[in-house]
Amino acid sequence: MLVAWRYRFRNSFVQSFDPRAWVIFYLCFLLSTLAFWDVRFLTPMLAIALFWLLSARLAWDEVRRPFLFIGGFVFVFALLTFLTGRGGSEVYTQEHLLRSFAASFTLLGWRPTLDITIERAFFALSQFVRVFSIAVMTILIPYSLNPAHYGITFRGLGLPDKIAYAMDLTMRFIPTFGRDFQLTMDAQRARGYELEKISGGLIEQVRKLGPLIVPVTIHAIIGSEDIIDAMDLRAFGMGPRTWLEELHYRRRDLILIAVGVLLLAASFSISFAGLGKFWVPPQLLP
Amino acid sequence: MNNFPLLVENLSFRYRDRKGAAIEKISFSAEKGELLLLAGASGCGKTTLVRAINGLIPRSYKGEVGGRVLLGGQDVANLSLAQISQRVGTVLQDPERQILGTKVINEVAFGLENMGLPRAEIIQRAEQALAILKISALRDRETFHLSGGEKQKVALAGVLAMRPSVLLLDEPLASLDPASALETLEMVRHLADEGLTILMVEHRVEDVLKIRPNRVMYMAEGQIRYLGEAAGLGDVVREREVKLPARMIAARAGSQPVTTVKFPAASDSDAQRPPLVRFENVTFGYESAREILHGINLEIRKGDVIAVLGPNGAGKTTFVKHAIGLLKPVSGRVTVNGKDTRQASVAEIASTLGYVFQSPSHMLFAPTVQEELAFGPKNLKHPPQEIEKQVKNALDVVNLKDKEADPPLSLSFGQQKRVSIAAILAMRSKILVMDEPTAGQDYFNYMNFMDAIVQMPGFDAILFITHDVDMAVIYANRVILVADGAVQADGRPEAVLKDFERLRACRVVPTSLLELNLEKLPETGQFLRAESLGSVL
Repeated sequence: MLVAWRYRFRNSFVQSFDPRAWVIFYLCFLLSTLAFWDVRFLTPMLAIALFWLLSARLAWDEVRRPFLFIGGFVFVFALLTFLTGRGGSEVYTQEHLLRSFAASFTLLGWRPTLDITIERAFFALSQFVRVFSIAVMTILIPYSLNPAHYGITFRGLGLPDKIAYAMDLTMRFIPTFGRDFQLTMDAQRARGYELEKISGGLIEQVRKLGPLIVPVTIHAIIGSEDIIDAMDLRAFGMGPRTWLEELHYRRRDLILIAVGVLLLAASFSISFAGLGKFWVPPQLLP
Repeated sequence: MNNFPLLVENLSFRYRDRKGAAIEKISFSAEKGELLLLAGASGCGKTTLVRAINGLIPRSYKGEVGGRVLLGGQDVANLSLAQISQRVGTVLQDPERQILGTKVINEVAFGLENMGLPRAEIIQRAEQALAILKISALRDRETFHLSGGEKQKVALAGVLAMRPSVLLLDEPLASLDPASALETLEMVRHLADEGLTILMVEHRVEDVLKIRPNRVMYMAEGQIRYLGEAAGLGDVVREREVKLPARMIAARAGSQPVTTVKFPAASDSDAQRPPLVRFENVTFGYESAREILHGINLEIRKGDVIAVLGPNGAGKTTFVKHAIGLLKPVSGRVTVNGKDTRQASVAEIASTLGYVFQSPSHMLFAPTVQEELAFGPKNLKHPPQEIEKQVKNALDVVNLKDKEADPPLSLSFGQQKRVSIAAILAMRSKILVMDEPTAGQDYFNYMNFMDAIVQMPGFDAILFITHDVDMAVIYANRVILVADGAVQADGRPEAVLKDFERLRACRVVPTSLLELNLEKLPETGQFLRAESLGSVL
């Protein structure tokens, strides 16, 4: 059975909008953020994302896990870019060294060295702000959209009946997958399986993940076959569908869409004007 | 002749990838308002027949079809699935596999939405279906949070809302606690009285007979062996194929010698030893706000065969998951062999306590049954020669010797469940814990493997969760009643199961075997299985 995300009605700012309006705004925000590498333009984006988050009436307890996981992931990723200096080469070509740390030992003749350059530091910062802003907005979706509205939201955005329902099922598949993974993990641990103690080469390690991967995959396949049978047995796809839930745009929804479209237009104009590219404070440069 | 709501003529089917026909030359008809019970062991072709009637055969399941199915005079072969679904409603064994909607009203309305009806009519028909099943109060609840019995009713409402003339129920009682099962049955009787034609597949014949099916059909090896009044069923059914009322079995058995399967009793010195598992004031809740277990105190000692009974959602699974350390108490503590589960890994505990999960599909992964069974003992670092022996023994117990080289995932659900039990048996843990070992199993198989497990040497204690009161009557020497996250009663089966009032409060319904046993207890001195009660009748 498909599990729903932990949604509940919170009477928050984000929930006061029609879900279609919110999704359109989200897409505008996403594209706008992707248009920039300049931390001066990205910071307002982060501010917008934080505004939505803080007005969403989410308790820290509810979102702690996804935030620590995704936030940690984004942070580690930015840190790796900073340490290795890889990843930014397409947005900057020249580097200005601030300090260089060299290790006191060598590995097979190679001496590990950490070069801190202005560009690397600012690239890591920009990358963090950019990805974190998008992450914040994305995490909000399952907490703020009523699962009963998934289908009609996509239908309302112009997708055909079948695809809208498929999107609905896909959105709910993610938490279902999580639950199945946990159940499988528990069942295998009860058979003395310990993920922590997996050793050996890469191929050997992947092979030893079989007891987790196989049941979870098979479960997902069987689960989808069940879903298809259940839909077939209740006349799915016989013709145009009536959606029980109804959505109506109100004034505030139109305003939100307008704000989103304006944001997108502004970002793209700035971008086409050649602004918003990677930036480092000129004062820092020698 | 052609006006029967359901008419099956000479129907045969062979699945594309299997040898031999699943059903052969099946012919019968059902009248308006008739409740027809279809009984038989697993693999007898019940589910195939259901699929041929509701159109999933040959549309989703390919193979060779012979004969035909007529619905109100129309051949199913000429109808689309969508058209069939408005004539035949199907409720599957496990409502979890059928429910699609996030909220109850969405779920009930799903078929009507697909039919493209006007919104006002959808709401009216959905609400009417909820009212018929007396679950209007659930209208805006989330389906995920419903209990098993509620889910079953919601799935039924979703089908009824489409106003079919024929209703197919495929083992609808399998995952329900006894009280929910009884409520569902009464609902089914009511629907038949209202004019719906109902074909109900169920091997718990005893339970269905309570609602007086008009006729009973008994299938074996893909063919109809009996079709007629319920009273005649006792003469044709092979022993243990389906579950008959205790008096019927006892009368048939006559004065057979008393057979009891005995678990090695604990000696007096065992009583002096520390308990194997001890729960001390255990409370638990997934979120701080809602407590699921409240102050559980109990000990599991050598020689115990414990049946845990209680309603769906009472916290039974949560309770036993503490014993293997998959869940740790919020307060209080659980010790296994004197060691706090907080201080041991699950894998460490697994060497003393084997835990069989409810759903086999969450654990089966290996290419062969043999490797599947060797997985646990290998993880526990048993020597290879030992493992081979343990695997063979375990396969014997669950009656799957001939499947050793088969991929577990290609087996039927009932067989997979037995593999999952054997996988734990092969680990030779001292304590065996099973979460609903008999769910989805036919009577014949579960009685046999329970007999074998209880007699298997090497277990110090066995604990199983079940909805089947007769399992507690036949096998347990101790019964724990759990409801609302607390232990309501704990003691000898004869003591706990005689208090019908308390049983009903815990949604446990006394069975004919329990009643007969209690009645004859002064003569027998112990609970016996139905076959053994013949001599005292």
